[in-house]
Amino acid sequence: MLSTTSCLANVNCREKMPTAMDEEERKLQRLKAAVHYTVGRLCQSIGEDHQKEFSRQVIAAIAETTFRQCDIFAKDLEAFARHAKRSTVSVEDVKLTARRSTALANFIQRKSEEIASANQEQRDTRKKIAGKRKNTEMV
Amino acid sequence: TGSAKKDPGLSKSYVMSVFKHFAKTKVSTDVYPVLKEIMEHYFDRLADDLETFAAHAKRKTIEVEDVELLMRRQGFVTDSMPVNVLIEKYLPMESRKLLIPVATSGNYVIPKPRRK
Repeated sequence: MLSTTSCLANVNCREKMPTAMDEEERKLQRLKAAVHYTVGRLCQSIGEDHQKEFSRQVIAAIAETTFRQCDIFAKDLEAFARHAKRSTVSVEDVKLTARRSTALANFIQRKSEEIASANQEQRDTRKKIAGKRKNTEMV
Repeated sequence: TGSAKKDPGLSKSYVMSVFKHFAKTKVSTDVYPVLKEIMEHYFDRLADDLETFAAHAKRKTIEVEDVELLMRRQGFVTDSMPVNVLIEKYLPMESRKLLIPVATSGNYVIPKPRRK
């Protein structure tokens, strides 16, 4: 009985063309799976540090929370960027989302400085290489 | 020196009347000090936030859009609850006319006098 119903369902699925809604749903599921995987990895490494185990349910709950928090962050960032009459989200917008918690704000500030300096270094090395090339060409 | 100047803020009667209006139960008067402290805290934070939002848009003047952004972050304004609906819901008529300049219904249309 059960098998026949599932077969029917399968047939129906195959007959139906994949709609945009289905596509969207699949994308969402993929994203959730990716978040879940990463959260699992992070929990594992933290658990090793503290000699503790995370149950599967806890990891799933953290993954779900993270996913929903991303939704909130995305909306906030978008609003902040639009507020500054930009269509691109920048580091300033990210800092603004985290300014309520001092520790997090400081952390993000440090990180942004690190990234900025790294970018600067990259540019410098490129310039040097470009300069050297020019010199060799000149000689 | 005694602080002779009156502290800026909402009057006690006003705060209490608003609180009583929204409270579902009877309100005793001794909630006022706590309420006052909370309000002060709230306004401090409000000013801080608005300043930050204005600076974010590279302005020194706080404008309506800063307030709207703040209310959006506070969760009062959502996609299903725009600012204008909130204004219609909570503000008195004079303020609504100020904030939403629309033609009011039931106004008189005075026809132009016919040229002879």
